[in-house]
Amino acid sequence: MLSIDRRVFQHFDWLLLGLVLAVLGIGLANLFSATQAGVEHGLPTEFRRQLAAVALGAVAVVVLLTVDYRRLERWAPALYAAALLLTASTLVLAPVTRGNRSWLVYGPLSLQPAEFAKLGLVLLMARWFHRHPPGLVRRLRDLFVPGLILAGPVAVIVLQRDLGVAVLTLLIGATYLLFVRIPARAWSVVGAAGLVALAGLWSYVFKDYQRKRILDFLDPTRDPLASGYQAIQSRIAVGSGGLTGQGYLEGPQTQLQFLPTQHSDFAFSVLAEEWGFVGCSVLLLVYLSLLVWGLVVASNSKDGFGSMVAIGVVAMLFWPAAINVAMVLGLAPVIGVPLPLVSYGGTQVLANLIGLGLLMNVSMRRYIF
Amino acid sequence: MTHLSGGDVPIDGRLRLFAALLGAIFAIFELRLFQLQVVEAQELRERALRNSVRTVRLEAPRGEIVDREGRTLADTRSARELSVVPNDLQRKEVTFAALAQLLERDVAELGERVGSPRGNARFRPVRLVGDLDYVQLARIETHRFALPGVGTHVRPLRNYPHGPLGAHVLGTLGEVRGDQLEKEAYADHRAGDVIGQTGLEAELESTLRGVAGGRNIVVDAAGREVEELERVEPEPGSRVVLTLDLDLQRAAWEAFHDVPDGEPPKMGSAVAIDVHTGDVLALVSLPAFDPNAFAGGIDAATWKALTGDEWDPLQNRAVQNHYPPGSTHKVIVAAALLEEKVITPQSRVFCPGFFRYGGRSYRCWKKEGHGSVDLIRAIQQSCDVFFYTYGVQLGIDRMARIAKGFGLGQPTGLGLSGETTGLVPSSEWKQRRFGERWYPGETVSASIGQGYNLYTPIQLAVSYAAIASGEQIQPRLVLRVEGKDGVYEAPPAKRHPVPVAPEHLAWVRRGMTAVVEEPGGTGMRARVPGVRVAGKTGTAQVVRLEHTEGMKEHEIPVRHRDHAWFGAFAPADAPDIAVGVFVEHGLHGSSGAGPVAQRILARYFEKRGMTAPVQAAAAPQRAP
Repeated sequence: MLSIDRRVFQHFDWLLLGLVLAVLGIGLANLFSATQAGVEHGLPTEFRRQLAAVALGAVAVVVLLTVDYRRLERWAPALYAAALLLTASTLVLAPVTRGNRSWLVYGPLSLQPAEFAKLGLVLLMARWFHRHPPGLVRRLRDLFVPGLILAGPVAVIVLQRDLGVAVLTLLIGATYLLFVRIPARAWSVVGAAGLVALAGLWSYVFKDYQRKRILDFLDPTRDPLASGYQAIQSRIAVGSGGLTGQGYLEGPQTQLQFLPTQHSDFAFSVLAEEWGFVGCSVLLLVYLSLLVWGLVVASNSKDGFGSMVAIGVVAMLFWPAAINVAMVLGLAPVIGVPLPLVSYGGTQVLANLIGLGLLMNVSMRRYIF
Repeated sequence: MTHLSGGDVPIDGRLRLFAALLGAIFAIFELRLFQLQVVEAQELRERALRNSVRTVRLEAPRGEIVDREGRTLADTRSARELSVVPNDLQRKEVTFAALAQLLERDVAELGERVGSPRGNARFRPVRLVGDLDYVQLARIETHRFALPGVGTHVRPLRNYPHGPLGAHVLGTLGEVRGDQLEKEAYADHRAGDVIGQTGLEAELESTLRGVAGGRNIVVDAAGREVEELERVEPEPGSRVVLTLDLDLQRAAWEAFHDVPDGEPPKMGSAVAIDVHTGDVLALVSLPAFDPNAFAGGIDAATWKALTGDEWDPLQNRAVQNHYPPGSTHKVIVAAALLEEKVITPQSRVFCPGFFRYGGRSYRCWKKEGHGSVDLIRAIQQSCDVFFYTYGVQLGIDRMARIAKGFGLGQPTGLGLSGETTGLVPSSEWKQRRFGERWYPGETVSASIGQGYNLYTPIQLAVSYAAIASGEQIQPRLVLRVEGKDGVYEAPPAKRHPVPVAPEHLAWVRRGMTAVVEEPGGTGMRARVPGVRVAGKTGTAQVVRLEHTEGMKEHEIPVRHRDHAWFGAFAPADAPDIAVGVFVEHGLHGSSGAGPVAQRILARYFEKRGMTAPVQAAAAPQRAP
C-alpha cells in the first residue's frame, strides 16, 4: 500500500515545515556558539552529534510521511508497549549517570528511551480519545483507562529517578484533560482531597529526614547551592544580552562557560546573551507560531485520531519549552528539562522531529478520506 | 471547521482556549525578558563583566577520636592549602616562575600539575600545596597581589598526633573511589571527597564525617572573593571515644622497639583487653605506617614504599592475619582434657623426650625429657609428650568443640573489617577441605598447636580472657560516641560462658600461674613485681626442622625463624586484663614475646599503683 495519493503532496504543509526548519536552524547555530569555545579545529563534538540526530530525524520524517497516520492508530498499542519496554529496560541495563538511570549506552551511542515513551503515550492516548471523544467524557471514572495509560510511563520514569521527565510526561498526558467535559465541581472535589491528603502527609506524618529522603529519591541531583549558582549565572547571562545582544559567538558568559550545562538545559540563556531581547523574541514567536499552528492542524484534521495526535504533539513540545524557558528566566526552579529542538540532545531531537512528522502527516492528509 | 468522528461535541472551543493559554504564557516570558534584558540590562551586564559566582564547599570538620581517658588520637587541624584557578591566571609563566621561587619548587612541575584544562575545569581550583608551612604562607601572602589566580585557603586536615601509634586501629583516609561512589552508602559523597578507607576511619565514616556545607561567592576578575551570596554551615562529625588506653598502647609499641641498638623493631602484634568488659585497651601491629601520610592525599613514592614492602606495614596483624599458635594452644587442650574427663588434675605422664605413635616418633621440645609430669607441670614447662599422650585420647573433634567455645576459629567481632577467622580443624573440616579423613597422627601435632590450627593475635587475647573469666566476650573498640544529638554509649559487649566447668578452668589457671611465677616456668620473663601473672608461651615452627637444624639462631634467615607467642592475664587469682602477644619470627615465646606482655601488664598495674613505675620511655618515631 505504498502508492500514495498525489493530492497528499499538493496539500503538503509548507508553513509547518518552514517553522520547524526555523527552530532547528536557530537551535543549531546557538549550539555551535555554546560549544565552540576552546575547540581549535573542526566542529565541536556536540554540534556534530546534534547534526547527525537532525539528519536521522529528517530521514525518519520522510519515511513517516509515506505512511497514512490512520494506520498508526492500529499500531498504537504495540508502539506504546515497545517504547515502554525500552524505557523500562534502562532500570536493568543502564549505568547510573549523575544519580539517575535513564540512558541506554551502546558504545558511542547513547539513547534516552523516555523520549520515545512520550511518543508512544501520545499515540495511545490519541487512539483512546478518538474512540471515546473527549466531548463525551463527563464522569471522572471515564478517565480510568487513560489514567492507566499515563501511569505506565510515568511510573517507569519515576523509578529511573528522573523527576523532570516524569513531571513532563504527566503534564503531556494531562493536557488531554483540557478537552474533556467533566464538571468543575468534580475536579474541585478530587483536587482538594488530593491536596489535603498530600499536605497533611507531608507536614504531619513525615519527619524532616523522611522529607529529605523523598526529595533526594525523586531527584538525586538536588543540590540547593548548585542550582542557586546556575540560577544566578543564567540571570546574569540573560540580562547582559540587553536589547540586541552581545553578538553571535561574542557572549562573555557563554564563551567563558560559566554555565555548567549551557549547551543543554541552559541553551536559551546562550541565545539570550548573544542575541538579546530581539533574538529571544524571534525564537519565542517562532515557537508560539509552531504550537498554535499545531492546534490549527488539530482543528482541521479530518478525523478525531488526527486531532488528538496533533494535540499530543503540541503538548510534547509545549511543556518542556515552557518549563525550560521559565527556568532560564528564573521563573521556575532548576530542573533538567531540555528546550525541544534547541538544546543539545540527540534523542530529544529525534523524538520531537518524529512528533512533528506526525503533525505534518495529519496536516497533509486533511482532505483525504 | 470541526470534524470529530463519533462525537457530537466540538473541540474547537477548547482548542481556542489552549491557544489562548499558550499566548498568555509566552506573553509572560516576553515581559520577563523585557524586565531582564531591557530594564535591568545595564546592571546585569556590569555584573557579568565584573563578577562571577563560584560555589565553594565548606568541609565539615571530621570528628575527633580520643582514647578512653580523652586523650586525642586523631583530630583535625587547619592546614593552609595553595591553589590556583587556571582561568584566573593572567600571565601564567610569570606567575609560575614567581610561585616556584617562593615555594622553592620546580617551575615545570608546577606547570604540569595545573596543565591546560578546558571547559568548566578551568574554573576548578587546582591544589598545588596541601599543607603550606609558616614560611611559605608568609611569602605567598606578602606577594599576594602579584599573583592573580593564586589563593590560599584554610582546609581541615586530619591529624594523628601520635603518628604510627595506633595506625592500624585508626586506619587511613583517602579519596573516595569510583566504585564506592556508586554505592548507596556514599550517596552524599562526590568525586574528590576524602573519606575513611581503612580501620575505624572507614568503619565509623558516617559518624565521623559530619555534613558538608557550602557557600556561593562572587569573585572578581582576578579570582579574589568580593562578596558572599549564600552560606550553608557544615555540621561537624561526632567525637568518638575509644576503649584504647594511650599509655598501654604506647607501652606495647615501645616493647616492640625494645631491641638491641642497630636492630630493626620486632614485628607482630599485641592486644590487651579488659576481661570484664571486652574493652580493647591496646592493639598494635608492626611494622606500622604513619596515617598522617594519607591525610592530605598520599604521595606516590610513600604509597609505593608501603605497598612494596615485603613485610606489609598496612596489614593489621592483630586481626587480618593468622598464624599457627604453637604451645599457647596447650591450655585450651588442657581445659578440654579436664572437661571431657580424659584426665584428672592428678593424671601423670612420663616424658622421655619423645612420644611413639603409629610407628612414628614425635619429639618433645626438651630432648632429655621432663620425667614424670602432672597437668600443672606439663603446662608450666610446656611438656609436649603430656599433651601428645592425652590429646590422642581426646580426639580432634572434642578438641575442636571446646576450642570453638573459647572464640577460636571465628571472627571476634571487634568491628574492624577484614578480620580473618583463624582455623580450628576437625575431621568434618578436613573432609570438606581436602576430601580426606582425619588421621590420628594429625591429632598428635594438633595437641601442641602445631597442626592446621591458626589463631589471630586478637583471638589469643580473647581466648585467654575466657580462661580468666569463664566467658567468651566480644571485644570492642568504641566506648562512646558524642554527637550533636547526644551521647551514645556502646552497648555492653556480647558474651557467653565457655563450655568448661569453672573448677576445670581453675586448674588451667593454676598451671598458667606456675608458668610465670614458679621456678622452671617458661614465662618468667613476664613477671610484674607485686602482681601475680598467669600466662603461656608458644613457639610456632615456620619451616620444617631440617631447614634450620644445627644453625645458630642468628644465622637462620628471618623468614625461617619461628614465631613467638605469649598469652597472659593478671592478677592471676582475680584477672582484670588479658594480653595476647605475637612476635613474627621472634624465635621463642619466652624471650621474644614474654617481655612485650610484661611491659603492657607492668604499665597497666603501675597506673593502678600496684607495681613500681618502669623506666621512662621514649616517644615513638613518626616515620614508619
